[in-house]
Amino acid sequence: MKGAKIIIQKELTRVFKDKKLVFSLFVLPAVMMIGIYSLIGFLIGNMEDDVEQHISQVYVQNAPEGFDALVKESGYGETAQIEYLEAGEDTAAIQDSIRDGDAELLIVFEEDFLEKIAAYQSAGDAIPEVAIYYTTSGNYSTVARDNLEAAVLSNYEKLRLGERIGNLEQLTVFNRSYADLVDENKMGGEVLGMMLPYLITFMLFVGAMSLGVDAITGEKERGTMASMLLTPVKRQEIVLGKLVSLSILSSISAVVYAVSMIAAMPIMLKSVAGDAELPFSIEFSAVQVIQLIVIMLAMVYLYVALVSLVAVLARTAKEANTYVSPIYIIVLVAGMLTMYQGGIEKSLASYAIPIYGNAIAIQNLLLGELTLVQFGLSVGGTVLAALILTACITKAFNSEKVMFNA
Amino acid sequence: MIEVKNLTKIYKLNKKQMAEQKTKDSIKKAVDNVTLTAKEGEIYGLLGPNGAGKTTTLRCVATLLKPTEGSVSVCGYDTVEQPDKVRESISFLTNEIKLDPQFSPKYMFNFFGRLRGIDQKTIDERREELFDYFGIHAFEDKKIEELSTGMKQKAAIAVSLVHDPKVVIFDEPTNGLDIVTARGVTDYLKILKERGKLVIVSTHIMSEAEKLCDRIGIIINGRKAAEGTLDEILAQTGASDLEDAFFEYYKQYHKEV
Ligand SMILES: Nc1ncnc2c1ncn2[C@@H]1O[C@H](COP(=O)(O)OP(=O)(O)OP(=O)(O)O)[C@@H](O)[C@H]1O
Ligand SMILES: [Mg+2]
Repeated sequence: MKGAKIIIQKELTRVFKDKKLVFSLFVLPAVMMIGIYSLIGFLIGNMEDDVEQHISQVYVQNAPEGFDALVKESGYGETAQIEYLEAGEDTAAIQDSIRDGDAELLIVFEEDFLEKIAAYQSAGDAIPEVAIYYTTSGNYSTVARDNLEAAVLSNYEKLRLGERIGNLEQLTVFNRSYADLVDENKMGGEVLGMMLPYLITFMLFVGAMSLGVDAITGEKERGTMASMLLTPVKRQEIVLGKLVSLSILSSISAVVYAVSMIAAMPIMLKSVAGDAELPFSIEFSAVQVIQLIVIMLAMVYLYVALVSLVAVLARTAKEANTYVSPIYIIVLVAGMLTMYQGGIEKSLASYAIPIYGNAIAIQNLLLGELTLVQFGLSVGGTVLAALILTACITKAFNSEKVMFNA
Repeated sequence: MIEVKNLTKIYKLNKKQMAEQKTKDSIKKAVDNVTLTAKEGEIYGLLGPNGAGKTTTLRCVATLLKPTEGSVSVCGYDTVEQPDKVRESISFLTNEIKLDPQFSPKYMFNFFGRLRGIDQKTIDERREELFDYFGIHAFEDKKIEELSTGMKQKAAIAVSLVHDPKVVIFDEPTNGLDIVTARGVTDYLKILKERGKLVIVSTHIMSEAEKLCDRIGIIINGRKAAEGTLDEILAQTGASDLEDAFFEYYKQYHKEV
């Protein structure tokens, strides 16, 4: 094991003595992550502000009596520029301008609106219509419509309904009251549970991928691997040294990603939600933390082994990157599956499936529902797969065809 | 002692290699039934034109390649059966095997010393001696990628000798070196010989082989054309120097293919 230790030391020295490498591997991703998240938050926040502050252009034809008063009273008039049209005026041009995004809304009341409401006696009598023209493209029009319905139309309807039946309370049979007893931890867990497994799977792999190809195919190409193969150090130890050092480096890179993401998330949410309280909080128990770390370590080992096997078999770094890409996509899809499969009951066996099983285990863990059996299966399945890969790598290291292209 | 017995090495070529070598054969017999012996206390020169199979032979001796047929033993250990024992006793230098460009000669020397299980005190002593001899101290802390070809070669030679090996296998050790540096290297090979080491070098520089080597093996087209002391080879061909002798063999062995 001494040989492996010396190799690990050298691999870590290689990375940490190189300021450029440290910057591009660990500093840049963190800066970029926080930057991108802040930018997204800023843009979403801006967009929302923009929609709120936008003055919509609204046209109303045949406005019945009392409508204008309600518009003023409700404050809807402050967010919209309302133009009243005479009966019979052609609205085709207005509809076009809504379609083009130059105006937001056209409301057409049937002629003799109030008379028709008043004339209503029994079922089958004519009910007058309000036609609402809007567009779902862009945000302005739908927001203008929703606001109009909530602030003006529904109140206008209540007013007229009141006139017809007198006491509106007659229409209320019972009141509802709601009390949200949500466990905030669990809710936070759900939000994180949907995102995190996916992000973790993806980040770990990215780390392993960028480092593994250079550390193995790169060394093969440069002819530096062979100098190690000339020493009496056992091939298993060389493989072990490579895998462990890569695992350490990928873990650090994953931690950098995760920490910067956790740091960036509130920044993003803050600019979206303003001063409102963040929608989730989450607390982990010590056991959960340890379980999460163990699962992640198993995953790091698997990913590093996967990338290393590809890297050792490839003749050039270019070739290695070509082969790694499809694996990368599989990893992404496996992570994504868990995002969209929340709630579906999974069989125990599925926890033992590497990558996928880890992702659903992390999901359960964040919900506080991970059983020990599921945990064991998830870690066991992954480690077993990684061990098989390690055996293949060692075999490849012993092969002159693979190592010397002979 | 190195004993190469009926060594044959066949490479399987992939499509790209077949195109590069302009051949339709999917295999290449790089070494064909070669038998050689080299003993402690001598410098053995492996001579041959480009592509003759020198590097391939030496790689088989250094345990990096397994013989397709025949066998190789070093200090009594078979290279396939006990490669670890062979690796303990040899130093192998060839231009395709390089030191990590991001590290300094000093770091690499210590790294390989420790990897071979040598204690730090011995490593330091060996480093002093070798770095002194090859004048490496001046650039011992520079990154290898920043060194000139000659500096790199000196560093590679020093590092390859960290464990004071019994058998020294150098594939074209003076390749790319100026005459002063090259002389430094060949002189050191003589020192190693005097210390009782077995030195085996490959080269196509005839004058170097004439001066340096106690015994010479000539391989052409993967096959052994001759083996013996300089005098024996000259006597066999009736030539006046090694270069003429070499061309005699070359005509003879190259035609047959
Ligand atoms: N990895 C390989 N795969 C396929 N063929 C190879 C490989 N390495 C060498 N060869 C072929 O084997 C033959 C012998 O090559 P080798 O490198 O042993 O020659 P050499 O005597 O060292 O030549 P040089 O003086 O140019 O270094 C050549 O024809 C070469 O093309
Ligand atoms: Mg060669």
